[in-house]
Amino acid sequence: MNDLSEGSRVLQSDAHPENDLQRIVLVNEQIKAVVATAFSINLMALNAIFLAKRAGQAALGFGVLSNELRTFSVDLADVMKALRDMTSDSVNVVSDQVRLARTLGILSRLKAAGVARGQQAVDAAFARHAARVERDEAALRERQRKLRQVLADARQRVELGGVLARSAKIEAAYGGGFAQPLMQVSSEFDRTIQAIRGSLDALAAI
Amino acid sequence: MKTATTIYSAGDHQWLAVTRDPQRPDYLIDTNEYLVSHGEAAILCDPGGMEIFPAVFSAISEHVDPRNIQHIFASHQDPDIVSSLALWLEFNPRLKCYLSWLWASFVPHFGGDRETFIPIPDAGMKIPLGNASLEAVPAHFLHSSGNFHLYDAQARILFSGDVGAALLPPDEDDLIVKNFDTHIRHAEAFHRRWMGSDRAKRDWCERAAAMQIDMLCPQHGAIYQGEDVRRFIEWFHDLEVGQLRV
Repeated sequence: MNDLSEGSRVLQSDAHPENDLQRIVLVNEQIKAVVATAFSINLMALNAIFLAKRAGQAALGFGVLSNELRTFSVDLADVMKALRDMTSDSVNVVSDQVRLARTLGILSRLKAAGVARGQQAVDAAFARHAARVERDEAALRERQRKLRQVLADARQRVELGGVLARSAKIEAAYGGGFAQPLMQVSSEFDRTIQAIRGSLDALAAI
Repeated sequence: MKTATTIYSAGDHQWLAVTRDPQRPDYLIDTNEYLVSHGEAAILCDPGGMEIFPAVFSAISEHVDPRNIQHIFASHQDPDIVSSLALWLEFNPRLKCYLSWLWASFVPHFGGDRETFIPIPDAGMKIPLGNASLEAVPAHFLHSSGNFHLYDAQARILFSGDVGAALLPPDEDDLIVKNFDTHIRHAEAFHRRWMGSDRAKRDWCERAAAMQIDMLCPQHGAIYQGEDVRRFIEWFHDLEVGQLRV
C-alpha cells in the first residue's frame, strides 16, 4: 500500500482521537478513585496494627496481616501512579493526533480542490502527515498494551489483598476479647478491597 | 475555491487579490488575501485561517507556484489572519513571517519557531521584495494593539488589514467598491465596534491622507479605488469609534 492510499485509509478509519482523550479522562478519574481507596486501606491498616497491639498475644497473626495490607496499599498506590504517568503521556500523543487529523483533513480538501502548481508538494505533505498519524496510532496502541499490562499487575495485587483481607477475618475470630472490633476492621478491609476490584474492572472496561 | 484576481500589474510587479469563496461555511468570516510579487520574490499578506488554507493555496496556484512564497506579512495576530501559518510552513519551512514584535511570541502558537518571525518595531520598517521595497506602516490599535498595514509605493496600494473592512451581503460582494455610499453602510458597525481608539484612528487618517494611494485593500469586503480612497479616509476620520452598539 503506498503512502497516499494509506493516508486515505487513515482519514476514513473510525479512529477518533477526541474519543481517546475522553477515554483518558475517564481512566484518570478511575485511577484517582483507586488511589484514594488505597490510601484509606493504609489508614485502616495503621489503626488495625494499633488494635492488634492492644489485643496482644491473641491478635499476633492479625497484626502481621495488617502490616501486609499496609504494604499492599503502598504498592498499589505505586502501580496506580505508574498508570497515571502512562495516561498523562498518552494525552500528549492523542493531542498530537487531534492536531494531525485536522491538518490531514485540510490537506485532503486541498487535494480534492486541486492545484494548478505544486501538486507533488501537496501529495508529499499529505503522505507525510498520513505517515505521522499512522506512527502516532502505533505509539498509542503500544501505550495501551503497556497500560493493560500494568492494569493486570494491579489486578493481581488486589487479588493478593483480597486473600490478606479474608485471612484477617479468620485471624479476627481468634482475637479473644478483641474479636468483635477485629472482625469489624477485617470486614471493612474486605469491603474496601471489593471496591478497588470494582474500580479496576471499570478501568479495564474503558 | 477562492478566486485570484490580478489587481495591479506593471512589468514583473504584481498584486493578486484572493477573494470570495462560494464553498466557505457561513460560520467563518470571509477574508481577502493579497499576494505581492516582484520577479521571483513574493509576499503573502494575511494568509488567512487554517480552515480556508485549501481555498487560498489552490487559488494562488492558478497564477504562481505557492511554494515560491518566501514571506508572509501578518497585519496582526488574529486567527483569521494567520492561523494557517503552520500549513504554509509545511510547503516552505524557510518561510519568514513579518509581524509586530508585540505578537512575536504569541503567533508561534499557530506554528513556526524562533527562525520564522521577523518582528516589526512599533515605528514600522522597510520590507524588501526582490529589488523592490514595501513599507510596514503603523496602524496600532486599529484594531489590534500591535498592528501594521503594508504600503507599496510603486503600485500605490495600501493593504489596510481590518481598516476599510465591510461585511458584505452575498448580492453586494463585488471585488471593487462600486457605490461608496451603499458600501460604507456595511462597514460602519464593524469600524465603530472593532476600532477602539479615536486617537489612533486620527493618527492613521493623517498618515494615510499624506500617502499616494490608488487602492486601499482591506482584509474583509471590497477594495476602495481612486476617489473612494479619499472618501473612505474622510469618512473614517469623522466616525465615532469604540462604540459597543451603533
